[in-house]
Amino acid sequence: MSKPALTVPLDSIASCFEGVAPSSICSCSRDGLPNVTFLSIVHRLDEAHVGLSFQFFNKTRKNTRENPHAQVIVVQPGTANQYRLDLQYQHTETEGPIFERMNTRLMAIASQTGMTNVFKLRGVDVYEVVECRPVSVDGGFELAGRRESIRELESFTERLAACEDLDTLLGTALEALADLFGHRHSFVMFPDEEGTRLYTGASHGFETSGVGSEVVIGEGMLGISAARHSVVRVTNLALETVVARAVRSAVERHGDAAMLEKEIALPGLPDARSQLVLPLLFRNRLLGVLCLQSAESGRFLDTDERVMQIVARHLAASIATTMRSDSAQHKVATLQPDEGTMGASRVVIKHYKSDDSIFIDDAYLTKGIPGRLFWKLLQAFVGSGRAAFTNKEIRLDASLGLPDIKDNLETRLILLRRRLSERCEFIKLTPAGRGHLSLEVRRPLTLDELP
Amino acid sequence: MVGTRDADLVPELIRAWGPRISRDRRSLSVCVARAGSARTVANLRDNGRLAVTCALPLDSHAIQFWGRCLGTGPANRQDLSAVQTHRDAFARSNGSIGVPRPFIEALWQRELAGSPAMIRIRFVAEQIFNQTPGPDAGSAL
Repeated sequence: MSKPALTVPLDSIASCFEGVAPSSICSCSRDGLPNVTFLSIVHRLDEAHVGLSFQFFNKTRKNTRENPHAQVIVVQPGTANQYRLDLQYQHTETEGPIFERMNTRLMAIASQTGMTNVFKLRGVDVYEVVECRPVSVDGGFELAGRRESIRELESFTERLAACEDLDTLLGTALEALADLFGHRHSFVMFPDEEGTRLYTGASHGFETSGVGSEVVIGEGMLGISAARHSVVRVTNLALETVVARAVRSAVERHGDAAMLEKEIALPGLPDARSQLVLPLLFRNRLLGVLCLQSAESGRFLDTDERVMQIVARHLAASIATTMRSDSAQHKVATLQPDEGTMGASRVVIKHYKSDDSIFIDDAYLTKGIPGRLFWKLLQAFVGSGRAAFTNKEIRLDASLGLPDIKDNLETRLILLRRRLSERCEFIKLTPAGRGHLSLEVRRPLTLDELP
Repeated sequence: MVGTRDADLVPELIRAWGPRISRDRRSLSVCVARAGSARTVANLRDNGRLAVTCALPLDSHAIQFWGRCLGTGPANRQDLSAVQTHRDAFARSNGSIGVPRPFIEALWQRELAGSPAMIRIRFVAEQIFNQTPGPDAGSAL
């Protein structure tokens, strides 16, 4: 005999299970003592089950082993309706997809807040939902209209199909995310050649582009998403931060401050409350991560994640295709230095060989591979007057001593171009057709190579 | 939040407002919206056992009382004044972490749908616990 349907179906109040507003749980010992505590999130597993993650062995767990009955109250963002869920403890999962999904989320938050030695997911307690009812008499429910995103997805893929090079592709993709889906703050990061760091290659909707900023793969929400090839979605960063800081203070009072690490500053919006990080995977290889941010809590819900997964997969495939296409071009052109340099004041460009950092009139521009590439182009420009280059010749140039960067060359060149456009008014590196680059210099240069 | 349980040890939760300490400092009280409190009140009349957890949204500092109900009844003027003071402070505290005041107002207004009446729950605390998240959560105070 099938079980009676819940008064309020869980999928009609799906936003209650996103961690936007805290929940509370009441359990009861076999001796009849109730116990009440707060939960930052109740996970909806399916139409009849919820999961509660636990990091510490606590009274709630002890109680539900003795007496499986429990009740939670969840709050719906937007309406502020509250719902009571009568639960029965069923079992605990310590591995598998549910555990891994929650573990990724916890690891990401732990890493961002410097608590990797403190926040450890021990398990996920799975409860059957026996009944779900509104707390107040008018707290009914409406089956949320399923928002179709087919048209937006079609437009997104159409816009990307028209892009011929990586730079255009990234710019178009991020602009389309804002236009079509309302995700106004976004950036794409790429892994470096060693696979240890991510660097920002393109961004949209921020006061400063942040291009070139880096995070360590495996650290913070972005780094964890990249390392685990998993989506990381946080719906209320303010709440997560408050809880993490409370735990941090308690750990310090406990005399265990050595367990704590530094909080990692979140790149992007200074007041971000929602963040969705999606790995850009092509044939299971990490090409980068796409990060969406919002100052509004609860901005990225489960349905947004699903739609953005499609977007991220298509973007990754497009990036892979564009990179291969750029690599296939092979044509060299040579131009003369711009005559406009005549009469302009001379500028000194320094290259420090130790880390390939570049300074233009003592102002830092970039370092690492982009610095080495830029120095090579400048040497060619000053030495022989060349101002046009191809990606392929750069890739094959043994004198650059580049690591096996393959597809990364294009992303490094995009980073270099954007850094120049932000920080230098008289040197431009512009795409000149597929796989071609043009260097435009409007002041005489003195190159100074230093150890 | 107030937690109670019935004779079969099935728990029931309800949001509470306006915590007060009695003048003789031997008991405490909180108020709950009458609408939605039927099971809570029935449980308290049946066995009197309750847990009350209070938390500050701003820093998650929290404590829990385990105790026994001394009685339930209509909230008086002082109780309602404490409820209002608590709601204002709760809204301010949430506001500082980005929760808009209209959301908090909707939270309590929804609870009053059906009946504006509030019920006072008077109880004696038998044990007090630190409930702030972290390694000391659950330790006796």
